[in-house]
Amino acid sequence: MEKRLIKKETLAGIAKKMAGDFLVWAPVKKEDNVLFEPLKKDVEPFFAYLNSKNAPKNVFFPHTETMMKYTRTEKGMAFSQDESKADEAVLFGVRPCDAHSFLLLDMLFNQEKYKDDYYVAKRQKTTVISLACAQPPYATCFCTSVDGEPVSADGADILLTDLGSNYLAEFITPKGEKLIKYFGETKADAAAETKKNEIIAKAREAIKSKIPAHEVKPILDNNFEHPFWATIHGKCLACGTCTYLCPTCHCFDISDEVKGSDGVRIRSWDSCMFPLFTKETSGHNPRPSQKERWRQRTMHKFKYYVDNFKAISCVGCGRCVMYCPVNIDIRKIIQDISKL
Amino acid sequence: MQNPYIPIPVKVDKIITEVDTKDIKTFRFTFVNKGDEEKYKYIPGQFGELSIYGKGESPIGIASSPTQKGYVEFTVQKAGVLTTALHEMEEGALMGIRGPLGNSWPLEYLEGKNIVIVGGGFAFTTLRSLINYMIHEDNRKRFGKITIIYGARTPGLLLYKDELAQWAKRSDLNLNVTVDKGDANWKGKEGFVPNVCKEVAPSAENSVVVICGPPVMIRFTLPVFFDLGFSKENIITSLEMRMKCGIGKCGRCNVGSKYVCKDGPVFSLAELDKLTKEY
Ligand SMILES: Cc1cc2nc3c(=O)[nH]c(=O)nc-3n(C[C@H](O)[C@H](O)[C@H](O)COP(=O)(O)OP(=O)(O)OC[C@H]3O[C@@H](n4cnc5c(N)ncnc54)[C@H](O)[C@@H]3O)c2cc1C
Ligand code: SF4
Ligand code: SF4
Ligand code: FES
Repeated sequence: MEKRLIKKETLAGIAKKMAGDFLVWAPVKKEDNVLFEPLKKDVEPFFAYLNSKNAPKNVFFPHTETMMKYTRTEKGMAFSQDESKADEAVLFGVRPCDAHSFLLLDMLFNQEKYKDDYYVAKRQKTTVISLACAQPPYATCFCTSVDGEPVSADGADILLTDLGSNYLAEFITPKGEKLIKYFGETKADAAAETKKNEIIAKAREAIKSKIPAHEVKPILDNNFEHPFWATIHGKCLACGTCTYLCPTCHCFDISDEVKGSDGVRIRSWDSCMFPLFTKETSGHNPRPSQKERWRQRTMHKFKYYVDNFKAISCVGCGRCVMYCPVNIDIRKIIQDISKL
Repeated sequence: MQNPYIPIPVKVDKIITEVDTKDIKTFRFTFVNKGDEEKYKYIPGQFGELSIYGKGESPIGIASSPTQKGYVEFTVQKAGVLTTALHEMEEGALMGIRGPLGNSWPLEYLEGKNIVIVGGGFAFTTLRSLINYMIHEDNRKRFGKITIIYGARTPGLLLYKDELAQWAKRSDLNLNVTVDKGDANWKGKEGFVPNVCKEVAPSAENSVVVICGPPVMIRFTLPVFFDLGFSKENIITSLEMRMKCGIGKCGRCNVGSKYVCKDGPVFSLAELDKLTKEY
């Protein structure tokens, strides 16, 4: 594997240089938040961030996106264009938990039988550069409980690790190697390797929040009707913040919009926390209250995804824990379930 | 492979108003592009997403049989936005269909067995597909006795009246059509589906029940078949959930770990027992 060392202060310049050649998504400061946005000419990327407020999943699975276009004819609206195309892009500097989420989303969107062309096209055209958490950013981080690591190349084409005054750049995949020319000529030495290993161990040690994520699977298998499910949702506002911010939530709605004689079919993020999500035309709703919706959210991440893809669909980023307006904490839910 | 979200263009070739309340119509579609019919190869029990640009999409069971060449049919009740727009369509209009989607009636499993079809109300559509498939001359000998029990509230609400009359003349199937309440012209059976099932009392020996209908009908009919000795493996039904993508991505139609759109809609009672009761 190719490894390079780059001076810390050169990182922003590398991102900006790439942005001259193709679309680069990088963390930028926006008011109080850090968000992944297409890097514009006069904007500085902000790599000293903790984690982005929104998960970077929107790069592959935008909040709303046009699926196809159509236009009026005398026989009715007729198809005019498939919008499932993508341009060459780089996602620069995502946290390892978020990069891990892409592998989980791939399992669903890039299945053998049905491929989601919109997601797959963007994913194939985009190179992912992860920025390791040399110092895990939040007390709510629990990646190590859900098959993650603060310094991990899972889901990354290039991994950057902060060694103090340098970044170690590791070119994990052929896709990553194609960008090697942006990273200078300084090969990483054995000392860099030793330093990285120290950082890995320290970072792992620093993750104090732990949940029994694997242990709850057999309990969930047998306790769909347990009275425990009536105890989580009492204060839930059904605001959808948890699913909106979550890097692994993938539910969406499809709708049509017409203006004059042209129209688009679009998809937008949806949420299992919303009452209308499963409501049928007849009025019947198989998940009639927030209790069933919270059970769905928990089951989907810690049982159904495991049944279908052998992977837990939570990367331990802690966003839902930090931003739930009424402090519902998925870590506590999993702890409680482990004791049922 | 083709983008599975892009509908296949079809022409509304024929619209048949099925019932006297006029809110259920059968739509016959022909394919605009040659070659698409071959791509839309389906099995009875599958469904499609009917797609009208500007209005949206709805999952609807395929009502025709693959033995009927040159077109595909869906029988649709007017319910909300999309189905109302569909009911306002005229012959000759262009729209789209996606699919075929979902699993299907388990034809291989049904082969060599006696088949009891039980349908209530307008949920008879994919059962009609299965019947027409089984009684086609190429297929009839692959199945044993065929018994059909089909009920509607009134004679005017029975679907596919011409076909019912044709089937009644056949000696290779046992057709029992019933209505809750007949009218002056009705010469057939009166009575609820569960009672008619009890009367007809098909043997459970090497037999499978395929049942679709309103939840109340199913609730009262199942005990009849349990009493007749049918096992849960040999009672097969089809589920409905709200759907969007139809291909297991949008996340709204799951019952436990199974997506009804992709792993269903057809399940045996034995399979349903293993799922959670969230439908
Ligand atoms: C596998 C399957 C087969 C079906 N077969 C038939 C059939 O053969 N004939 C028939 O008349 N109806 C059938 N339905 C029900 C039919 O899909 C709904 O009546 C229809 O989607 C209502 O759409 P609408 O736009 O008119 O109503 P609206 O209420 O305006 O619909 C809003 C949205 O809700 C969704 N939706 C609402 N109710 C349902 C529902 N029960 N099932 C699935 N999605 C729903 C649709 O995605 C639609 O886009 C079937 C449903 C499923 C799941
Ligand atoms: S469930 Fe919460 S902690 Fe887990 S990945 Fe989603 S937002 Fe992050
Ligand atoms: S963020 Fe909290 S209040 Fe909002 S839907 Fe999620 S659990 Fe409920
Ligand atoms: S309809 Fe989208 S997952 Fe089933």
